[in-house]
Amino acid sequence: MGEDRERAPHVASVVELARGEEPAVGTAIAPGIPGRGKRAVAGRVGLYALLAAIAAFYLLPFFWSVSTSFKTLPESVQGFVLIPHHPTLDGYREAFTTGPFGRYLLNSAIFAVSVTLTNVFLCTLGGYAFARLRFPLREPLFMLVLATLMIPDQMRLVPVFKLLADFPFFHWNMIATYQGYILIKLIYATNLFLMRQYFLTIPRDYEEAAKLDNAGFFKTYWRVMLPLAGPAIAAIVILSFQGTWDDFYWQLILLQDDSKFTLNVGIARFATAGGFGHDWPPLMAASTIAIAPVALIYVFFQRYFIAGVTTAGVKG
Amino acid sequence: MAVAARTRPVGTRRLETAANAKVREALVGYAFVGIPLLYFVLFYLFPIGYAFYISFYDWGILGKLGYRGFGNYRELWHDQLFWTWPPKRGTAIWNTLYYTAIVVPAQMALGLALALAVNARIRARTFFRAAYYFPSLTSSAAITAIAIYILNADGLLNWALSKVGGHPVHTPWFGQSSTALESIMGLNIWTTSGTMMLFYLATLQSIPTDVYEAAAIDGTSRWRTFWKITFPLLKPGHFFVAVLSIIGCLKLFDQAFIVSGGKGGPAYSTETAVLYLYQTAIGDARWGYAATVGIVLFAIIFLFTLVQRLLFGKAEIGY
Repeated sequence: MGEDRERAPHVASVVELARGEEPAVGTAIAPGIPGRGKRAVAGRVGLYALLAAIAAFYLLPFFWSVSTSFKTLPESVQGFVLIPHHPTLDGYREAFTTGPFGRYLLNSAIFAVSVTLTNVFLCTLGGYAFARLRFPLREPLFMLVLATLMIPDQMRLVPVFKLLADFPFFHWNMIATYQGYILIKLIYATNLFLMRQYFLTIPRDYEEAAKLDNAGFFKTYWRVMLPLAGPAIAAIVILSFQGTWDDFYWQLILLQDDSKFTLNVGIARFATAGGFGHDWPPLMAASTIAIAPVALIYVFFQRYFIAGVTTAGVKG
Repeated sequence: MAVAARTRPVGTRRLETAANAKVREALVGYAFVGIPLLYFVLFYLFPIGYAFYISFYDWGILGKLGYRGFGNYRELWHDQLFWTWPPKRGTAIWNTLYYTAIVVPAQMALGLALALAVNARIRARTFFRAAYYFPSLTSSAAITAIAIYILNADGLLNWALSKVGGHPVHTPWFGQSSTALESIMGLNIWTTSGTMMLFYLATLQSIPTDVYEAAAIDGTSRWRTFWKITFPLLKPGHFFVAVLSIIGCLKLFDQAFIVSGGKGGPAYSTETAVLYLYQTAIGDARWGYAATVGIVLFAIIFLFTLVQRLLFGKAEIGY
């Protein structure tokens, strides 16, 4: 493990981070030299003040956005008012009525949940096969899957759009359909990779027991492997949900119909519709709704989040 | 199978079932990976060839209008909106490279500083980590909307600048060509530095502590310890973060689209390479030309992706 880790600085320690353990921390150990105490304390206080200031800088825009979502339009441009004097739900009401953000919210949820389900099922099943079942060309095929990570979405724009606009043999037009978008996000190569790596770490003894019981491959996958893969499944659930919920590029390209718009596309339209004179409270209400679910998941499942994102290597 | 037959004296019948089991395992294996493989071939591999094919045609809304050979590539070479020589602001490629040149070093420096801070033995370390990472995981559309609000002429930033400067400031940060792209730079340095922090943190924690213990015993100053020990040992992290950051910057799209309403304005100041691709494809329905833009972008991004994957490939071994 030690030698491996030198070659592999990222993933190895990230997994430890994800498990909630603190690996060896690479900071100088505070030398316990007498007489240095006061300076050290002052330094500590300064450090905390700095860290807190930076944290405020990173979080303030979000508080500001939530605050404005409860304001009236005049109050939203009145300088720094963090707690609204006359809190109102008009911003949300407007977002749900004039801009049909209720519909957009529903669409976002449908896409995120569907893509998460397809990913969990197909990536655990595929990951199990790539990790455990023996079949010819297994390794080259897995390499092929990994190779797709090098193909940027930008190059795929035109051909994938054409493919979905007129699907070969069937002549389906899947632009601005639920199935078209879900198809594009059906499987993340990173999720498949993550599951395979995780299954490789599970000792074979578990399956040997199942084999003695004469269980088939699917039963072994379902009854033995899946229950053991909890943390990895949590990571891919979060990765797929967030990747789809936060996606803008494919949503904008494929969902070219108001009835299929998501929160993100709706916000983009709304933010730019009237140039730069804006109706801020409903826009901030929509932004708050778009940020809230991922924020909540993050608060409760931080460690899986970090494991997933760092292993995937790229965020959106 | 031959080996098994020699070493294990078993009946023919048993051998047959073993062979059958092997075939069955292979078939089940293919069945389990079948949908993923079909998916990757159809939506990743086939599109590469298809993109090249389309790029050789004049391809409009109604389909193929005629073969152009390298005509699209020639046109792109002379396209003054895509790039110019000498470099000029307001062209897609130069805007993108200018953006990349500023954002990459800033993201790396900030990411490293944050990583060092949250790696120290401090209380509430988890909270600080979570706070700094938070902007990275939010929807780019929502966060851009917040930025538009804060940076508008009557927004929070101008309010703060007015307080500090003592006279009213009403700069439309996204609304004028001299500051629009720079404002996106600021926005994205802020949102993605948390991601860079995570990668640096992972690398930092792979550095063995005994190195630092030795330095502490020698009485080496923290500043010196950082530059002489930590910084060089972070080399794999530097590479990885740099490549990740460069690729992300070259793909700049969401924020540029949203602040300019998809137009790349004002005065082409937020016209990026990917936005240009979007405009030629979805906006103008010039599919052949857009495919060409996509391929040229792919060539540029591919170089960097290749480096990243080579580094990532090494990382996989230790997983």
